[in-house]
Order: sequence, then C-alpha cells, then structure tokens
Amino acid sequence: MTTAVLLLLLAFGAYLVAVLENWATSGRFQLATPAFSALALLGRESVLPRKPDRIFFEVAPTLLLISAVLAAAVIPLTPNLIITDLATGALFINAALVYVLVALIMAGWGPNGAYAMIGGWRFLGQLIAYAMLIVMPITAVVMRAESLLTTQIVVSQAGLWNIVYQPVGFVLFFIAAMALAFLPPFDLTTAKGELAGGVEAEYSGVRLAVFRLGRLVLIITLAAATVVFYLGGWQGPWLPPWAWSAIKILAVTAIMLLAGRYMPRIREANLLSWCWMFGIPLALLNIFLVGVLVLVFS
Amino acid sequence: MITGARHGKLSGLRRLLATAMARDLKVFVIPGPDIARAHGLDINAAGLQMVASPRHASVLLVIGAIPPALREAATVIYAQMARPRALFVLGTNALLSPLPDADMTAELSQRDLIEGVQQLRQLFSAHAFRPDISDFDAPVLQIRLEYTCPMHPEVIQDEPGSCPKCGMTLVPRETQANMEHAHMEQQQTDSGTDVQMASTHEHQHMADDTPASVVYTCPMHPEVVQDEPGSCPKCGMFLEPREVKSESTHEHQHQHQHMADDTPAPVVYTCPMHPEVVQNEPGSCPKCGMTLVPRETQDTHEHGDTDSHANHTGMDHSAMNHDEMDFMSMVDVTKDLPRSTDGLPMEWIDAPFGPFFPGLPGGLLLSLTLDGDTVASSGALSLTESMNLLAHSPMDSTDFMEQLANMDPLTPVAYRLLACRALENAAGINVPADTARARAGALERERITSHLGWLTLFAQQTGFDWLMRRAGSLQLKFQHASLEQIVALKPAIQTLIKRLQRTLLLKSRTVGIGRLMPEATMRGPVARAAGLHDDARSADQTFTTLGFTPAGRKESDAFARLHVRLDEITHSLMLIEAAGAMESPTLLPVGTASGTGDATVETPRGPARLQLTLTHGQVSAAQLETPSTPHLDLVDPLMEQQELGDALVAVGSLDLSPWSSQQTFPQ
Repeated sequence: MTTAVLLLLLAFGAYLVAVLENWATSGRFQLATPAFSALALLGRESVLPRKPDRIFFEVAPTLLLISAVLAAAVIPLTPNLIITDLATGALFINAALVYVLVALIMAGWGPNGAYAMIGGWRFLGQLIAYAMLIVMPITAVVMRAESLLTTQIVVSQAGLWNIVYQPVGFVLFFIAAMALAFLPPFDLTTAKGELAGGVEAEYSGVRLAVFRLGRLVLIITLAAATVVFYLGGWQGPWLPPWAWSAIKILAVTAIMLLAGRYMPRIREANLLSWCWMFGIPLALLNIFLVGVLVLVFS
Repeated sequence: MITGARHGKLSGLRRLLATAMARDLKVFVIPGPDIARAHGLDINAAGLQMVASPRHASVLLVIGAIPPALREAATVIYAQMARPRALFVLGTNALLSPLPDADMTAELSQRDLIEGVQQLRQLFSAHAFRPDISDFDAPVLQIRLEYTCPMHPEVIQDEPGSCPKCGMTLVPRETQANMEHAHMEQQQTDSGTDVQMASTHEHQHMADDTPASVVYTCPMHPEVVQDEPGSCPKCGMFLEPREVKSESTHEHQHQHQHMADDTPAPVVYTCPMHPEVVQNEPGSCPKCGMTLVPRETQDTHEHGDTDSHANHTGMDHSAMNHDEMDFMSMVDVTKDLPRSTDGLPMEWIDAPFGPFFPGLPGGLLLSLTLDGDTVASSGALSLTESMNLLAHSPMDSTDFMEQLANMDPLTPVAYRLLACRALENAAGINVPADTARARAGALERERITSHLGWLTLFAQQTGFDWLMRRAGSLQLKFQHASLEQIVALKPAIQTLIKRLQRTLLLKSRTVGIGRLMPEATMRGPVARAAGLHDDARSADQTFTTLGFTPAGRKESDAFARLHVRLDEITHSLMLIEAAGAMESPTLLPVGTASGTGDATVETPRGPARLQLTLTHGQVSAAQLETPSTPHLDLVDPLMEQQELGDALVAVGSLDLSPWSSQQTFPQ
C-alpha cells in the first residue's frame, strides 16, 4: 500500500518537476504542457539508429528510471511514509544511483553515434569529480545521526537542521547532486550546443519518453535526498509532515533547475580540477568539523 | 496531407496523440536559428520549440532559398527525423530537391510564420497518421558498400574478392553517403581547407603511395624483426613476412630503426616514473631513487616530442621486458591505432559538426577528427554557395548592389553600404555629409544587432539560457528600431553588460580559450581583441567627426573577443546617438559614369573591401575581400588539441559568417 502511494507520489512529483523545468526553460508556467509533450512523444516514431548496440540502446532508458526509483525507495516523506526503511539507507541511495552512470554510458554507446558516445564518456569522466562529493558529505551526515537509517537522519536534525550544522557539506552535496542529475551548468553529457543533445541525441519516441521520465525521477529523488540529509526532512511547524516534505522538495528542485540558467556550462577540465582541489579537501574538513562537534556536544 | 505522416489509421487513441503532437511542435531550423533571427523571426514566440537534435523534431523549418550543398545536408536531417514529420518552408517557392515537397509554405515574416504554425497544427491533428505511407529516399541517403581487407586497410574496392596482398577474403564495410558527399564537396572547392581535409582522411585510408618494404617478424614475439626469412631466436617459430610503411605508424618507424644498421640509436637512461629525468649514464633517479632504465633515442623527431614519448614506451617493452610481453601485448594490439599527444593509442573518430549544428553558425561545416573528446584535426568549410559577384557582365549598378546586399543574410546593410560606396566612388559622386551620417547610423545599428546575434549563438553553444533569451530578444528589437527606440533600449543593454560581468563561470569558460598567435591573419573584432587597432572606421571622416575610437583588448582569447564586442555595442550606441539619424543606404544615381571604385566598410565581422570597374554606368568587373575568408583558415589551428567544448567556443569566438567567405574573384 505504502509502496503504491509512494510510487504515485513519485510520478506526480516527476510531473511537477517537468512543469518546473518547462517554466525554467521557456519562462511560461503551464500545467498542461508536460502532459501534451509526453503524449506527443508516445505518438512519434521511436527510430532505431543504424547498427545500434541493441541491448545497450534498449536497456539504458529503463535502467536510468529503475536506478532513480530504487534510490527513492529509502526516502521518507513522513515518519511512516517510506517504501523500505533500510538499515543501510543512506548508503543505499548512493549504491542505487551508481547505475545512473551505467545507464548513461550504455545510452552513449548504444546508438552508434559520435555525439552520444562523447556524451556518455563525458559522464564517466565527470564521475571522478562528483562521486566523492556525494559520499563524503553523506558520511558526515551519518556521523551526526549515528545511524544509516534515513528516518533516523531526519530525527537527528530535530534541534538544528544539517544545512546550519554542516553548511559546507550541504553546498558540496547540492553541487554534486546537480552534477549527478546532469543539470545545467553540469549538463556536459547532454550539452545541446556542444553535442546536439549528447546521450539523448539519438533517442526518439517512446524510448525518449522513458529516458526523460527517468531523468525527472532522478532529479526529484536527489532533491528529496537533499531535503532528508540537510533540510530536516518532514520537520516543520504548523503544517503536517507530508506538506513540509513536499514544499521543501519542490523548493530544492526549483533551485536546482533554475541555477543553471544564469551561467554558461562549466568546462569539463575545471569541474574535475575544482572538485579535486577544493571539493575533496573541503569534504574532509567537513567530516573533521562534524566529528569534533559530535564529540563535544554528545 | 503530410508527406512524412506516420503509418496507421487515425482513430481512437491516435486522435488524442495527434492532438498532442499538434500542440507540441518541435522544430529544427535550417540553416539555423541565427539566420531566423537575422530575418527578424522569433521562433519561440510563434509557438515552436527549437530542439538540438533532428530526432526530437517534428517540423523542419527551412528559411529562404538554400544552396544545393545545404539542401542535401537538409535531406539527411529530414530523414533522421521521427515520423510524423513536416517540412515548413519560408520565403521561397522553389523546389528544394532532393527534399520532398513542402507541406507548408509561407512568406518570410513573423506574421506569416505564426499563421503557418496554426495551419501546421491543424495538419498534424488531422493527418499525423495515414494508412498509406511510402518510405522517403534520396540519392544522398544511399549507403554504399565497399570491401576492405582486415589486415590491409589500404585495400578498398567496390566488389567482393580477396586481398591482392595477403589473399584474405575482403570484408564489406559501409561508407556513409553523407560523409562521402562531404568529401566530394571538399574536392570541388579550391580553398586552402582542402589540404587539411585530405590529411584528415589519410588517417583512415592510409596513403598508398608510400613505399613499402617487407620485414620478417615472429607471430609471438613482435619485437623480433629482421630483413631475411628465418626462425625466431626465442621460440623457434618461422618468421612471417610483414609489410612496413615508411610513414604510417610509430611502431613501423621503430622497426625501421632496427633495420637501419648504419644509424645506431644512442641509449639514454630514464626513470620509469619520471620521464623527464634523462641522463647518459646508468644510475638512480634523483627524484624517487629508482634505478634508471635504458632507452633508445630517436634521431628523427618528425612527429614531435610527445610522439617520441609514445615511442619510448614501446621501446622499453622490447628492450627491457620482452620475456613478459608474450601474451596479449598492448603494444601489439594497439600498434595500428593513431596516437594522441599523451601517447595513448585511441580509436579516432571522424564526426561532422554542421552544417546545421546548434552551437555553430548555420551553413558552417566543421569536419572533426576526435581523439576521445579532444580534437585531433579539423577542417572548416562553408557550405553556402560561392556566389558569383557578377551574375553577368556588364551588370546594372542597382542590380549589383541588391545582389551584394542579399549575399550575407547576417549583415545585409553593411554589404549594401559597401556596394553603394564603391559605385559612388567609381562614379566620382560626393556623398552629402548628412546622408553619410545617416548611413553610419544604420551600419552601427546593424553592428549592435550582429553582436547581439553572436552573443545569442555563444549562449546557445554554452547552454547559457538566460543570455540566449535576453540577447536574442534584444537583437530582434534592435533590428528595425528607430532612434527613439534605441535610446529607450539603452538601459537594457547596459544591464545586460553589467550582468555578464558578474556571471559565474563565464570567465573560466572563455579565458585562455581560442588564443591566436600574433602572426595569424585577423580582422575586425578578432584583431582588436589581439591589441591591433585597425578599424576601417578610423579612416572614415564621418566616423571620426562622430567621435569614434576603436575598442581594444590584448589577450587575444575568447574572453577578450567577448569584451571587444560588448564594448563595441556600447560604442555603437554612442555613435548612433551622435549621428542622430539612421537610414538604410540607397544608391545615389551613378548615371552613365565610368571609372574604378574602391571602398572599405567595417562590417560587424571586420573590414570588407570592394573594388570595381564601372563602364557607362554598368559594373564590368568586381573584386571583394571579406573578413570571414581568412578567419576560416584559423579554425584548424584554433581547434587542434583542444577539448571539444573549448574548441567550439574558440571557433564560435571568431564569429564566422559562412555566407560571406570564399568570395574572392580575381578578374
């Protein structure tokens, strides 16, 4: 029952993300547009490019979707509204999202096209930049909660949200989450002006619809994870817990989608070097500081 | 009726899908959004959503008549689109063969575009599905099979058979028709890019004319190479003959060295961890203390230092660890692959970027050879037709001016002005000062428009959405703005420039990218970004009295070019206000005058010079120099060894106009 409710909520959330994304790119807030776009995609032919790696080409969009949905399984919207409260929840999110990389490399390799392939390999190159910045801030969050349970992580922020307790970790995680969802300015893998759509370039029709859906679910999952780890999850005054979760998740999503509009795409080399030169030392510093705070205040 | 309808009967659910598709029209613009804006079209406002990949598009929008080479490229794009697809042509009724007949045509104006979109929607909801559809085909889409030997890639023939060199059965391979075609195109043009293109292709079809010699090598021990047949000193197997090309790969070169006994390679000692440590005697590394290993040095460094580095790793294996190298030698496996500058062998791919690439000017084709995502070599080519300056000789002066004005849709006013000036110069007419001022105003307005258009394209390339919308809408507003409107738009420009100065990542994206050597041939803003203050306007009295000073930067990179253009927008605003009038140039009557005329106009891309001979009021000879022609040759050095994204920003920063390049016609 909970699973069904949450999957429905996830689908609804993905739709809202699509509305927000449309608003961010076209400047028009239209509730119906994503529905028409989705139907139109279903109506169009799904072209199979010449000499594809058929298995990779077919599996990639579905794998992206599955990976994002799996990660969503350990996100609590209220103390009880969670698909499975795994004892290793915080790690599980990370483990599930690894398949985003696999899906994108498959989507890049599958269609036998230069633009797509470069897009796929770019994402692999990017992994080196963001992967550590997903795991290391989560480590600091877990240290404070003294538990990998995502519900426990939310409860641990009752007095003070992690965004205040470990702001460095929040910034790093937020940036890394945007890179993982290949949102602008980190959209190196789908870059329109550089790769004509990159990994998405050769997909059309139903396959593209599944790919886009996977991406939307991925964005909302990462926004939800940010809320759980840093923004106190369902906690908040006056409103019921689910409302707080919804408001926070949508707010984070909107910021994620809008941020990239106001700057050019990052250079691949800069992303890598900055993440290694500044990101990882800062993440280590964050872990150290949180460790000290935990020792002093417990 | 839509020619490219999807198979099926329109009923039930399909009716709903057709309605959705009619609402959600995605468009791919040919020759490109830059041309659409130059014609004053706002595609987004017309309700069409532009996409970067033809696979995502349902409408192919063709703007104006396009030359044959672009038509063929457009046919490939059309074939890539998913059905249902429609062809929407603006501004021409000419047949666009080999493209199919247009599903919808309209005049080249925003109002007609909007009306056309309405009708397209009706077409889609009524005819998106059709039970009787036929496949679309065109000669340019044909794929040709050719046969090649797996061991001798230089053997290529049209029929199956066996290899004349080793007797193996040839395997079929597809050649993409459009690639073939691009190649043909390059052979037709006689510009300098030809040579570069040919060299790119040699990576694949190794040049046949290099002399080959036969050496004998062990199948298990590739390091064993000798001139005569015999058995391997290591395992006793019979040595197999192998052909060696003097120039093809490094591995071969290395064997050459072994064979040439008269040039003994000197041995130096180097650290396996620190390749920069090199000395003449054995010893240990001053950095890590490891024992230095011997390495043979190459006498000939024709492929540069980094390549010889690649070679040395190969040498190490044969000199040092040949006993462990028996199984799956990477050296052996990768020996025929081209080497990057970092010494890694990689599969190189040829990828065309253009002529309708979303981040490049429409009509420009970059043929890139990519080594991973680094550009190994490139060739730039304009696929727009090389128009004959004189359609017939002698030519009526007004016709001549109109023709030149229509040559480059990106900057029509500048070329119209150029024609007027040259004709008036030939006829010995003195232009009244207020007319000259009004013409200067119009030229400066076009400069603002053109630079804003460049900003939009740059934003599109780098995914900078806000700038794309802002600069794009300002460009459309400036295009036909009156003096009052321009004054009213001034704050918007100032806000835009201020905003750009504060934009995150913009500096890191452009600083140091696309740096040009001082000796490169540069024109216009590109030259002024390199500290050269040459601007044709400095020599023009009309401009000097208006208080003109050329903009200037020194860094000669994409950042400097961006800022030169921003400065020029500000300057142009001042000049327009000082001129106090704007008037598109009209030719003063030249009558039946004869003489030679010479005029230079600083177009938004740099100085364009027109020399012509006027005989009894008719143009009998003409010669034109445009700034984009020399800039086209800068593309290859700019892109070489750059990461793809940087390379595209570098090319973009030149602001090439494919429409006014390659147009020199000596008489």
